[in-house]
Amino acid sequence: MTTNTVQARVGAGAPSRAPHRRAHPLMRRREVAGAWTLMFPYIVLLLIGGVIPIGYALWVSFQKSPTLLEPDLTGFGGLAAYAKAFTDFRFAQSFIDIFSVLIIWMPVMIIAVVGLALLVHASPGRFGSIMRFIYYIPGALGGVANLMLWVYLLNPSQSPISGFLHALGLTTIKQVVATPGDLAVILSAMLLLQGLGQWVVTVNGGLNSIPDEILEAASLDGANAWQLAWRVKLPMIRQWIGYTALLNLAYGFQLFLEPYLLNQVASGALPSEYTPTQLGYWFAFVGHDFPSAAAMSVIIVIITLAIGLIVVFRSGLFSVEEH
Amino acid sequence: MKTRKLLSVTTTVAAIAMVGLALSGCTSSTKGASTGTQTDSGGKITVWVDAPRVPAADAFKKAHPEIPINIVQIDSTVGATTTEQHFAQFDAAKKGWPDAIFFPSNDDIAWAAKTGYTANMSKLTPDLVAGYTKPVLAQCFIDGKYQCLRNDAAPDVLWYNATLFKQWGYTVPTTWADYQSLAVKIATEHPGYISGFTGDAYAPNRYLWASDCPTNDQVNATTVHINLADPKCTRASDMLSTLVGAKALSTDGIFDADATVAGQKLVMSPGAVWWGNYLFEQTWKLPKGSMQAAPGLSWPGASSAQMGDEGGGLWGFSSHIKGKELKNTEVFAKFVASDPAWQVDLTTGLPAFTAQQQPWLTKQAGDDFYADTTATLATFAPAIATVPTDYAYLLYDTGGEWTSTIAKDLAGGKSFSDAWTDFGTDLTAKAKAAGYTVVTSK
Repeated sequence: MTTNTVQARVGAGAPSRAPHRRAHPLMRRREVAGAWTLMFPYIVLLLIGGVIPIGYALWVSFQKSPTLLEPDLTGFGGLAAYAKAFTDFRFAQSFIDIFSVLIIWMPVMIIAVVGLALLVHASPGRFGSIMRFIYYIPGALGGVANLMLWVYLLNPSQSPISGFLHALGLTTIKQVVATPGDLAVILSAMLLLQGLGQWVVTVNGGLNSIPDEILEAASLDGANAWQLAWRVKLPMIRQWIGYTALLNLAYGFQLFLEPYLLNQVASGALPSEYTPTQLGYWFAFVGHDFPSAAAMSVIIVIITLAIGLIVVFRSGLFSVEEH
Repeated sequence: MKTRKLLSVTTTVAAIAMVGLALSGCTSSTKGASTGTQTDSGGKITVWVDAPRVPAADAFKKAHPEIPINIVQIDSTVGATTTEQHFAQFDAAKKGWPDAIFFPSNDDIAWAAKTGYTANMSKLTPDLVAGYTKPVLAQCFIDGKYQCLRNDAAPDVLWYNATLFKQWGYTVPTTWADYQSLAVKIATEHPGYISGFTGDAYAPNRYLWASDCPTNDQVNATTVHINLADPKCTRASDMLSTLVGAKALSTDGIFDADATVAGQKLVMSPGAVWWGNYLFEQTWKLPKGSMQAAPGLSWPGASSAQMGDEGGGLWGFSSHIKGKELKNTEVFAKFVASDPAWQVDLTTGLPAFTAQQQPWLTKQAGDDFYADTTATLATFAPAIATVPTDYAYLLYDTGGEWTSTIAKDLAGGKSFSDAWTDFGTDLTAKAKAAGYTVVTSK
């Protein structure tokens, strides 16, 4: 950990490497074997949960694209399924929809996570850990429980914020979710409340890894709590922030459950193919067209991977450059 | 550097997986429709029912203790796609289908027939099929054979609040034009009182099916006729536009929790015969002796009434079974379609099976919920003949398109004409996405 930090502060640019140690061949082989042993469980899960499904999706996506009216369209179809997904009348809209959610949610999420984590870290002792626990509570309400909470919050006839909803002229839950522009904000709020706590804990872990000596040195140099947070802690947890951004982006991009269930709550008054994953679901289970559904998944994987790679390689968040 | 190494490991793993996949021969097929071979469980049957039909399955279990049965309750949201999702997966796996199902939405019969799930009832139980009148079973007649049985007949009648009508001195409308002008008058004279609902998936059945508007008009197996500019559509949309403009309709759907409040202010509305029992009495708990049904409404120039149909659930039976399992499934079919233990004693809707209609009506008369129960019940069975029979359930969900465009737009404060345009665009696009060729004239 310490060497990493030192490297982070000293290293400049990519080529900087730790000096090569010439280890004994036997030692080296044992190290490699150990590494593989440690990685084995992960690789198995990666294969079952990631690589094989993606490979299968790739294979399916190059099949001909059938409909219930033409179920006999089978065999290799080249890019037909991709063409069908791209030209679908909901394709572009579903990406606009998901980006309209991400553009609201992501900045608020990152600022809130980092801000709260810095606050928690600056309040050591019992108060800090109580706050950390309080922030975590909404995150413990995963999935459906979180949705039920929101259905209760958004229903003007039951909600504790019904006064606010009535002031906006909204008297039914259908009006609340179906008023243009509301859905993106509601989904952002749902994602924020659900994810905030656990990411505060994660980033707080990053802050805890900063060696005390550095903070002490900064204090001795006359840095106040604000300067400590802004000039010392923040630069040192850049990787953690990048990691938070990356995983949240991937999670948010695959939004499915929340809009799907909200649509049922609103008696169908929302678009049933609001996000790209919902469109994929439609292709598979309503259109009975697995190749186009697979093509949608591949498109989503490519976009998420591309965003991930940009975050990893271009933003510098994962690099060893000095701030 | 670390990431690069990790990437190369990932690439290696991916390559191994791809090779493995190639070696495994990629034998599975993604083909949707396939009947496969028929199987026999040895007698045990599995039935899928929505929440209101659980009593039917329970009554069967009681009546036939000799038949082992597995009752599965499914998502009963009208327009939900969960059931379809399960079936698409069963089709891919070529196993897993239930022996009998009460479809949550009537549109479900379209994909169930196309995927080869539904058994040919004309062949399997011809005596049961003969027990229905032709119009009541019209939507089950698909590709030249009866592919489902109907639980209940659900034609619309005109429901009205007799207490309010008497108090305010209104006469009961007999034409759609009268309905429109009275609804506007009610909204002006008694703001807050309503003459209908626009927010549920049955609303297009209530107004567009009643007008015989070509939304679900099948030309042949792969071609549909959709034309919302047709005079049969515009007469309905013009009426709705006027009513929405006059605030005569609630933007709620009849199944919304909020509709319980709006329902207390319902003065009149076209609505299915089951509204009386299920909505007014059990769900909204309207006062006894207030609601009343009148015969349907007629369009200008027509001499007879023409009304829509809202649901009236469909039972489907598996074509993938044989032997004892099939025999037991037939017993189940006979029970839920025609046995008085379900169709008279328990069901809330007018039985579709002709022989059980009168016993059911007699039982309802004893309940005496309506202002004039005899007159109300007398409108039920004749209403079946007022429903246009050329409406087909298809692979696109007209009710779902209605809620995600018109119900959404009206709840969000848009004008009816904008909402109507959205509905037309989406309906055609969805029909095309399902694979149909869409024509605007026949």
